[in-house]
Amino acid sequence: MDTSAAGTETRIAHGALPARDKLRLGIPRVLNVWSTHQFWIGLFGALGLDARRIVFSSDTSDEQMREFGKGRGTVDSCYPVKCVSAHYGELLALDRHRRIDVLFSTMIYSVPSFLHGHVVDSLACPRVMAAPENIKAGFLKEGDAFAARGVRYVAPLVALGEPDMAARQLLAALAEFLPGVTRREVEAAVRAGYAALEAFAAAARRQSREILENCARLERPCLLVLARPYHMDPGIGHEIEVDLQAYGFPVLWGQYLPTDPDLLGWMFGAEVAAGQVRSGLDIADVWPSSYSANTNEILWAAKFAARMPWIAGVIRLSSYECGMDQPTYTPVQQIVERSGTLFFSFQDLDSTKPAGAVRIRVETIAHYLARDAAGIIARKRDASPPDCPLAAAPLP
Amino acid sequence: MHNADTLERTTVPQQQGAAQRIVHYRAYKPAPFTLEDREQATILFGGLQWRTERLIQGAIERFGYKTAVLPTATREDLLAGRELADIGQCCPTSFTTGNLAGFLRKESQRLGAAEVSRRYVHVTAGSCGSCRFGQYHQSYELALRNLDLESFRLFLLQQNALDQGEAAGQGLDLSPQLMTGVFWAVLMGDVLQDLEYQIRPYEVHAGETERVARESVERLHEALRSAPLRGGRKSGVLWYLLTGHFTAALREVYARYAAIEVDRLRVKPLVKITGEFYLQTVEGEPNYNIHRWLEAEGAEVYPAAISIWIDYLLRLAAQEAEDRIGVRRGARVKRAGAAAVQGLLRWNYDRMRAALGGLPREMPRQEELRALAAPYYHSRLNGGEGDMLVGKALWAHRKKKAHMTCELSPYSCMPNTMSVGAMAAALGRHPDVLYAPLEIKGDAEVHALSRCQMILTEAKRRAQREFEEALERTGLTPASARERLAGHPARLAGCKVPHGGAAGTAANLVLHLAATN
Repeated sequence: MDTSAAGTETRIAHGALPARDKLRLGIPRVLNVWSTHQFWIGLFGALGLDARRIVFSSDTSDEQMREFGKGRGTVDSCYPVKCVSAHYGELLALDRHRRIDVLFSTMIYSVPSFLHGHVVDSLACPRVMAAPENIKAGFLKEGDAFAARGVRYVAPLVALGEPDMAARQLLAALAEFLPGVTRREVEAAVRAGYAALEAFAAAARRQSREILENCARLERPCLLVLARPYHMDPGIGHEIEVDLQAYGFPVLWGQYLPTDPDLLGWMFGAEVAAGQVRSGLDIADVWPSSYSANTNEILWAAKFAARMPWIAGVIRLSSYECGMDQPTYTPVQQIVERSGTLFFSFQDLDSTKPAGAVRIRVETIAHYLARDAAGIIARKRDASPPDCPLAAAPLP
Repeated sequence: MHNADTLERTTVPQQQGAAQRIVHYRAYKPAPFTLEDREQATILFGGLQWRTERLIQGAIERFGYKTAVLPTATREDLLAGRELADIGQCCPTSFTTGNLAGFLRKESQRLGAAEVSRRYVHVTAGSCGSCRFGQYHQSYELALRNLDLESFRLFLLQQNALDQGEAAGQGLDLSPQLMTGVFWAVLMGDVLQDLEYQIRPYEVHAGETERVARESVERLHEALRSAPLRGGRKSGVLWYLLTGHFTAALREVYARYAAIEVDRLRVKPLVKITGEFYLQTVEGEPNYNIHRWLEAEGAEVYPAAISIWIDYLLRLAAQEAEDRIGVRRGARVKRAGAAAVQGLLRWNYDRMRAALGGLPREMPRQEELRALAAPYYHSRLNGGEGDMLVGKALWAHRKKKAHMTCELSPYSCMPNTMSVGAMAAALGRHPDVLYAPLEIKGDAEVHALSRCQMILTEAKRRAQREFEEALERTGLTPASARERLAGHPARLAGCKVPHGGAAGTAANLVLHLAATN
């Protein structure tokens, strides 16, 4: 479907907007929105927008790109950024009662990270943060496609990794489509956004801990996925971990591992005492250039896997032309493998899901896990301190 | 070899019997550089253009260190870099990794690995951002491991700090005083390069500019190496700011250039080089020798000054502080500090330009570049050249600073692709901008140069048209212009031809000749 105005009613981009509770806001379901979506839901809810009118684009797919993204690319980029054109196109093409008034696509400069304070910085990847400017160009180069659809394009830059900056950075952008919004309102909404995000992350970490406790109790292996948040998008990560889950292996994501002090103390206490790291969340021993939030979390999760007996296998997902992942390939593999944990890597993922190859690989992984997991768990447990807090957990 | 060169990898650990202690992976950590090492070890560095590298040598040697410049990277280095580090590197990482590895490999064959680790240390730039530029060292470290040179010492410079402190051990003190010397070397390298590229395409006696350039660089190297040591680690910075030592040396150099006979009535398109830092700076195989190739194709090259990059980084620092005024303590002071350093940088750059007869081009104002780029690229998005890449292309076009912009974009460079992509919207609104973004992979020369040639052909037409319009406007003919030139100071390189509103040198000269005779 073409996203031009042909055959449709054209509204002026800067014309009147509906009242807050009637406003339809489109958010591309891309990149770091995958790890911050709860913030945006919390923020706009607190500002009085109807949650049913906040429209996320679909999961990434080949069809989406063919239908909505064709001809909008401006430069060769990594696959996850390339896909953003299709998400913009899809949101712009929404018609009649589903038509959006505002396309809200943030340039997320830095990301809230549980490693904050233990790393140098929590920046987003330079491509990921700049993607809206790049993708926008594809919708402006031959005329203003946003204006042609009567959609207001709003793309604020926000350092979500610095909560005290976020309200200030968002105020002007929000005022573009929420007339009369006050600074105090935005500050309160930003607080609500962070609270929603933290609540979601805490619940996910709790669930991960429960999975690990269950594995410890039953001496059962589980798998850890090391990937960027947007690999949760079925069109980016191709649901490889879902195929493995079908074999009965519980799957954890590195972004949502438990960070409870008792567990970190058990896993990293000796290294902290020896002065090798400053805390259980410190990654300077393996990755001193810890500027990038998603990279930092992958490296930390790899360390976690190396010290967690019941994580018997690690699955690494990486997209086509991911420059952030590239320098981490060897360190991550080394961190995992030196502990005797199985390591499997799917690199250069793009639009094509090589279903046959993935199936064979998944079968191979399942085979090795079934064959070796018990030995891996035993060896890693023997190398760990006694009194694991997971094993002491009461039955649910 | 720890090389991730497969699409998919499955690694199955060997079945082992008894439980064993796990030795966890740790990142590379260089051994200390001690005071005794200072006597023995040579500091290796590279990755810039040859003039600046030679001048930096002088600036560092002034403090008693031994230095050596890595040879300019070659295609062979590119292949070695790809082989020794993880797959999917951006092209500058492959070149620089292979360059260091290639040098060390040869030296290892000659001296043995242990002696190489004792005799050399490598100092390279890190970064304050998340772009791979800040993680080049990962690739270097991996290459060193793969060459069994794990004990080789590699030290990182932070590009956002003047005081680099004492690198692990007390032997390598990259003090503010020393780093200011390095910055001065960069400024002088820039103004010299700009002057040279303005003269060479028009020299009457082939090879004269090259000869003078070599002599001049040696003269300035000596000025840096033998500069008096005044002040302490920090207070010594003041001496650099106030001294006339370097401007005197530059004036001496200017006199050599000024005597070169030139024919600026040769009509040539002026091509501005922009792009990713390494590719726009280096002169050699990493960018297909684009500077010399353009000259050979009949163009005048407007090279990319490193000083503009420094000015940009200072602008980013000032912006970051400005955004945090009222939120972070000390933000106002930081902003003022960054702005003051920016002012000092420009003042000294202009002093050096003046010492070279005012011939080297001025640095564009960062505020102006930012304003031009604002509709297309957010000024707070850092990494690479950010909005400056867009701003420079529009600035060169609108201010008639060049006929075309040749943008050198490394294969797989993360921030650069974002800026280049955003240019699509700028070109949509300014379709008359001649913009040649070249993806540089290092091994696809014909493709890149042929793409450049297509745009260059149009730039040549524009230069010719502009020249003819200048003749028409002034009533001169090529012959009469040449007659006027015969007795005019502009027949020598030392004469500055003012910007008369045209982009090309020949057109501006015609306007100047008409106005001055």
